[in-house]
Amino acid sequence: MITKRYLMGAAAASLMAIAGSAFAGEALDRVMSNNVLKVATDANWPPQSFVNENNEMDGFDVDVARAIAERLGVGIEFVTPDWGVITAGRWNGRWDISVGSMTPTKERATVLDFPAVYYYTPNSLGVHEDSTATTPSDLSGKVVGATEATTYYYYLDHSLVIDGQDINFQIDPGEIRSYPSTAPGLDDLRLGDGVRLDGIIAGFPPLVKAIEDGYPIKIVGDPLFYEPLTVAIDRGDKEFNDKLAEIIEAMHEDGTLTEISLKWFNHDFTKGY
Amino acid sequence: MLYADTVESETLVHKPSFVVGMLLIFTALFTLFDLTESLFGHLMRPVIGEPSEAGFLGSLSVGFLVGLLLTINVVAIGFVRFRIQVLIVWAELFILFMAFFYGFDLNFEFIRSKIWFMVSQGLVTTLYVSALSITLAAMVAIVGAVAKLSSNGFAYAIASFYTSFFRGLPLLMQVYLIYLGLPQLGYVIDAIPAGILALTLCYGAYMTEIFRAGIQSIPKGQWEASRSLGFGFGLTMKRIILPQAFPLIIPPTGNQFIAMLKDSSLVSIIGVWELMFLARTLGSKDYRHLEMLVTAALIYWAMSICLELIQSKIERHFRTKSH
Repeated sequence: MITKRYLMGAAAASLMAIAGSAFAGEALDRVMSNNVLKVATDANWPPQSFVNENNEMDGFDVDVARAIAERLGVGIEFVTPDWGVITAGRWNGRWDISVGSMTPTKERATVLDFPAVYYYTPNSLGVHEDSTATTPSDLSGKVVGATEATTYYYYLDHSLVIDGQDINFQIDPGEIRSYPSTAPGLDDLRLGDGVRLDGIIAGFPPLVKAIEDGYPIKIVGDPLFYEPLTVAIDRGDKEFNDKLAEIIEAMHEDGTLTEISLKWFNHDFTKGY
Repeated sequence: MLYADTVESETLVHKPSFVVGMLLIFTALFTLFDLTESLFGHLMRPVIGEPSEAGFLGSLSVGFLVGLLLTINVVAIGFVRFRIQVLIVWAELFILFMAFFYGFDLNFEFIRSKIWFMVSQGLVTTLYVSALSITLAAMVAIVGAVAKLSSNGFAYAIASFYTSFFRGLPLLMQVYLIYLGLPQLGYVIDAIPAGILALTLCYGAYMTEIFRAGIQSIPKGQWEASRSLGFGFGLTMKRIILPQAFPLIIPPTGNQFIAMLKDSSLVSIIGVWELMFLARTLGSKDYRHLEMLVTAALIYWAMSICLELIQSKIERHFRTKSH
């Protein structure tokens, strides 16, 4: 199942690569004339984005998206396609922007534009409480999980490149198990040490959130790498890109982002490392 | 009963050898499972002492008790009439099933807070996507079936290509192809229409074959008689063939609808907020996936049971009408 989904994602990506890209100014015009910003988010990724008690989208990314829409002076609407569909680009105007904690990788930059970094997350290794691992390298040769098409996955298969960071690949996993999102991986890990997984690479915030919610998990060692996270738009619309860069710059400066970060993470993740 | 004869024979579950065999097998099984820590173990406390220290003899005696209860239950059910047997066994299996879910240690408060949204958003979306798709698929199927039976090479080729292609691909693949592929041709399709289109095309292909078989089952003489009365193709179809074919077509179509209800969960991958999507996402914030999955499973099941009842009503209706 997992492999199939992964292949599907790849098929989706290659299909999308055939199409053309957005024309200059088109996306910004569309947002302004429809008077609504259509945001692609994941509904399954607390605390960044999830469905809350009132069955509405909520979370850090969602709050950031709302703040952006407010500054553009337009309404907001959320859509929830698969992550792989978002990162594949060529959105054809289905939605205008992804505020989904996306890492600006070289591959993604061929189909998407990244107007601005809005925060940085540390990414860590989580293991079951009963695990004897004391450093990340203890997981070498073991079964380690990660969400497909994410930097966590690329960290495990040693293909991760982040501009301006030397990445020390401490884990050489025996098997990488990929998941459609973080939650099912955590569910596999909670079953017991080594039952299905020996460890999982995930963002520090979701790991902490899972532990708070009673998952029998602990975080091993220091963060493996820090990840600059950006909003993303379909490639080729310079006006929209510049407008968003300006808005996010202002949100960094006036403390809006810090405030949202403290609200959701109890840490200020907006300042880098 | 496959074949009801008039030979009187003893009920199988009342044969002494069968009863003893059953008791032995049940006892062995439950002894292996070691139920000393369960409710039964605690009930047996006067006999086996502290459950955790009972050892093999303890688990054997608990296994024997449970095996005995089960055997008595089976023998007792053997005495009553068929309908009552069915009712009792259903009720017992249902209770066991619920106990199984109960054992998951679910948070019922959480389920209660979400269930209305699962029904009003998820179930409604699932139902209307399925209902719309099955209606459209039936239209596709009737055209496809006529084309497949036609002596026109073009029509036959197109229809057989269609059924071959859409029956030959996984539905999940079709959902992706339509959602991601159509925009490449310049037509950007939203998630819900894409899902409906994929379900329509896939089920239309299966139902083409059902319709074709239904139409083909009408004896050739009906066509000949109709032609000799001077009826054209359209009139023959409308007045003679289809009215006779429908009783054969409708029951399997109902089956397809029940199957579609569950297959419609595949459109959750393109972000349609139907039952399966909500089952995966609503619990994510509090890490309560199991609650939502079990709830959605029961909703799907309840819905299928309702539809199966309607289905059997329809079947009965056509059975009495056609004979």
